[in-house]
Amino acid sequence: MVESYAIDSIDRSEVLRYMGYTGQSMSSELEGRINANMERCLSIGVPRGVWRIFDVDGRGAKEDGTPFVRLAGTSLELLGTSMQKHMDGAVAVGVMAVTVGMGVERELRRLSLTDRVAQVVFDAAATTLVERTADACEASIVAAGHERGLFANFRFSPGYGDMPMATQPVLLQALDAQRQLGITLTDTLLMVPTKSVTAVVGLFETIQPSTHASCAGCPCFDFCTIRPTGHTCRG
Amino acid sequence: MSAKSPAQGDSRWPKDRLVLRSRRVRDEHLAAVLRGEEFLLFDGAMGTQLQARGLAAGELPELLCLTNPAEIREVHASYVSAGAEVVTTNTFGANAAKLGDAASVEHVFSAAVACAREAGARYVAADLGPTGQLLEPMGPLPFDDAYDLFAEQVRAADAAGADLFVIETMTDLAEAKAALLAVRENSDLPAFVTMTFGEDGRTFLGTTPEAAAVTLSSLGADAVGINCGLGPAAVAPLVKRMLPWASCPVMAQANAGLPHVVDGVTTYDVGPEEYAAAVADMLDAGVTVFGGCCGTTPEHISRERELLTGRMPAARHVHDSFAVSSAQAICSLDYGQVGVIGERINPTGKRLMKEALRSGDHDYVMNMAIEQGRAGAQILDVNAGLPEIDERAVMCQLVSELQGVSTLPLQIDAADPAVIEAAVRSYPGKALVNSTNGKAQTMADVLPIVKHYGCAVVGLTLDEDGIPATAEGRLAVARKIVRECEQLGIPRHDVVIDCLTMAASTDQTQPKAILDAIRLVKQELPGVRTVLGVSNVSFGLPFRPLVNGTFLAAAFSAGLDLAIINPCLTRMMDVVDSWRVLSGEDESAQYFVANYAERSDRSPAQALPVEKAAASSAAASAVTPATPAEPADPAARARELVLAGRKGPMPEVVAQVIAEHDPMYAINEVLIPALDVVGERFEKGVFFLPQLMASAEAAKAGFETIKAAVDASGQGDNVPEKGSIVVCTVHGDIHDIGKNIVRMLLENYGYNVIDLGRDVPPQVVVDAVVKDHVLLCGLSALMTATVPAMAETIELLRKEAPWCKVVVGGAVLNPEYAEMVGADFYAKDATETARIASEVLG
Repeated sequence: MVESYAIDSIDRSEVLRYMGYTGQSMSSELEGRINANMERCLSIGVPRGVWRIFDVDGRGAKEDGTPFVRLAGTSLELLGTSMQKHMDGAVAVGVMAVTVGMGVERELRRLSLTDRVAQVVFDAAATTLVERTADACEASIVAAGHERGLFANFRFSPGYGDMPMATQPVLLQALDAQRQLGITLTDTLLMVPTKSVTAVVGLFETIQPSTHASCAGCPCFDFCTIRPTGHTCRG
Repeated sequence: MSAKSPAQGDSRWPKDRLVLRSRRVRDEHLAAVLRGEEFLLFDGAMGTQLQARGLAAGELPELLCLTNPAEIREVHASYVSAGAEVVTTNTFGANAAKLGDAASVEHVFSAAVACAREAGARYVAADLGPTGQLLEPMGPLPFDDAYDLFAEQVRAADAAGADLFVIETMTDLAEAKAALLAVRENSDLPAFVTMTFGEDGRTFLGTTPEAAAVTLSSLGADAVGINCGLGPAAVAPLVKRMLPWASCPVMAQANAGLPHVVDGVTTYDVGPEEYAAAVADMLDAGVTVFGGCCGTTPEHISRERELLTGRMPAARHVHDSFAVSSAQAICSLDYGQVGVIGERINPTGKRLMKEALRSGDHDYVMNMAIEQGRAGAQILDVNAGLPEIDERAVMCQLVSELQGVSTLPLQIDAADPAVIEAAVRSYPGKALVNSTNGKAQTMADVLPIVKHYGCAVVGLTLDEDGIPATAEGRLAVARKIVRECEQLGIPRHDVVIDCLTMAASTDQTQPKAILDAIRLVKQELPGVRTVLGVSNVSFGLPFRPLVNGTFLAAAFSAGLDLAIINPCLTRMMDVVDSWRVLSGEDESAQYFVANYAERSDRSPAQALPVEKAAASSAAASAVTPATPAEPADPAARARELVLAGRKGPMPEVVAQVIAEHDPMYAINEVLIPALDVVGERFEKGVFFLPQLMASAEAAKAGFETIKAAVDASGQGDNVPEKGSIVVCTVHGDIHDIGKNIVRMLLENYGYNVIDLGRDVPPQVVVDAVVKDHVLLCGLSALMTATVPAMAETIELLRKEAPWCKVVVGGAVLNPEYAEMVGADFYAKDATETARIASEVLG
């Protein structure tokens, strides 16, 4: 599924946290610059995502002992012990890619040449925005799992734990993400636009301990499509 | 990091036989299609059909040409029976970068063309999709590398017997241009180019349909259009925007609507009937080449076939306006409209610009671009002509960097044809070349470049005999230039004649002769446009801006189309804006009323140039009551401004410090100690990152004021040089924030920072270190994957520049890692780097 997300605010405290804020008092001038860059980021960003759900097709270990989770209908394989743990018992896997678009990338580029204070602030705002976009995409996967009576854990991205960065090309190809979202890879497997996120979410037949006990603290809260139906993803 | 360009004299195309070379066109029907007289029907989706047949997501579908050709043939054949005349080869991603070791480009193309041919295709179109990597400057792939990937495909497809090329699903105009040049320079088969747009009417990289149509049709595409991304109803209005700007047939291959997953299977929501209805709409508007993209089936194609049968192409109107384009947008002038070319990115007679180009510090240039755009420039002139620099390299770098900060089209201003070619080759748009003149040799050198790269060109009315004194003489030269252009196939609306301004003070008959010449050129050479740099007219006179403004108004009245001026001078833009009211271009004077309602001659402040006005308003805000109580002593105030991170009032306050003391006092007793306090506060967590940087920025404003004062007083020798430091983000890494923070702080402490940018190959780092015998090099890496590149860079430095100390930093590094890669120092942040710099360089 290719989706666009309406995101009209980003969490200021998170933006500040990315810049190392620990409660320092700042001038109104700096506050003004931070607010202006957050607004600009929201107006330039185009939060979009693409996701698919693949059934788990088998598990095992490669010749060198690396554990793998095989998925049906795709050449994408999830490698490593992190994935072995994260997908332990999963019957299906939601695969997602999101980006806030090339406009944000261009603005970062412009600021890197013209205003380096703004670049730092805008970068933090864009990171916050793309994580928010990933929340929205994850909510879609949670909802799709719910429809099948499955329970989700949480998103996990290549490069974390021992999930190899080499997952990126196949993952993006499986989602047709270059065509759908304009996400490209460098030789070193970095995504451009840099404010993009790829991840996998496990889907299980039983409720997961990581599932939020209440909707209040859930990062997907604002994007949840299950709650309006009178249910929750906990069942 | 900078745009590479072909080596001197290493042209990839035969200039002598370029223009008259015709396309190799398979038959008369295809020739009629290229003339826009007949329709052409492509096939529909390949990927969707393969997925329906069980291709796993994530696999390379191109390999099926080799492993399962029967399957591919079947899909092709189903489209042929549905009525498709063109079968597109299954080679979308068949480039060396994507195929890797799985197969050779040659093998895949030869198998793919065979599949299409055997399926009974009337024409086989070799499919070229995006490389999969993003091109410079936003991405890491150099233009020439993209070109090489495409060229390999082109040669393979031509050898395999394809009839034409279709370059498709492009979102980056630079990449589309690389692919099209690769076809033009390695084959004589026709090339169709389509780009993919989103609902906002732009590609992912921000290109509009008009910009795509202008750039690609000027560059010699045989058809331009849109594919993928959207359903036919959404493609229709976008492709209609291309029609008036494409001097070639226009094509549309929409998706069958949007994808939905039903029971795990991707389906599309627009059926053949609905699809055909939208196609009928495009057909009426003048689109002549059709087909389908994702989700379309043989039934869709079959309905299109029925629609086309018995129809004739609709009449089309193509603009003959002057038009140039950046990657984002076009700048076009209808007859009667006037345009502004910003002249400031040119070192001639500009000390600061000279210095910026010499030192490679392009911040100044970038800000100049932004300022001119704000002030109303529609095109930016770019000139890097300084004898002591590598003009070609600097020009290419500027053109690349300017794309990051401005969406205005560029005028490439150089005397050397090799510089012009290097710049326009990779420029993602249609550039204006400045310039040719009437000399036979110059025309022979410059005009083939203009034609080959689809540019517009400025023609100066001078030739072997110099500048003619009379209007008639200038017209004669203009005539010669236009004739030569037309022989090469450069249309009149791409030719802009410069009648050359001469000083009124040396010959008072000249202004009239110039104005008459403009009038004559417009009269006698209809379709041709005119351009003029006006400021020379006032040379030797007092109050030059007034004379320039008056002359500009007269030139507009004579028919001048484009003025090369400094748009930041209010007086000049006043003339432009008011002329647009008088000429009717500013309809109902809307712009003028909105922007000039508050203006009058009584308030002199408003007649100041933009920069000064901004400075004075900043100075005014410095004394507003909102500002906390400030000490009266300028030195103390300057310190306060650094600590508060306020750059606005800094120049004025520092000027006072210098007046009371001297420049060295301002540096050593005021700014540096204040920065030390900032550094301490950052260490202790009293300041966080943006505060550190805002302070650095404020201090920088102070240093600039000091530098300007020292330069002006001629005491430059009194300020000691603190030495140079090379900084960059290592090869393969595209994060530059950390490096930028370090650079800012080091500059503050008075070091000459040579910033090589991001994704910098080891040899480039070493070359920069060796060139100036630099003693300290800072390397940044943010990803584990790029730490080996750091080690590699250091190894090469040890070998070729053993005197140079290396400091490393970045998110993934720690002291152990730093030791492992062989660095001399690890810096956990920018203030630490500054301390290390003082240890190494003093």
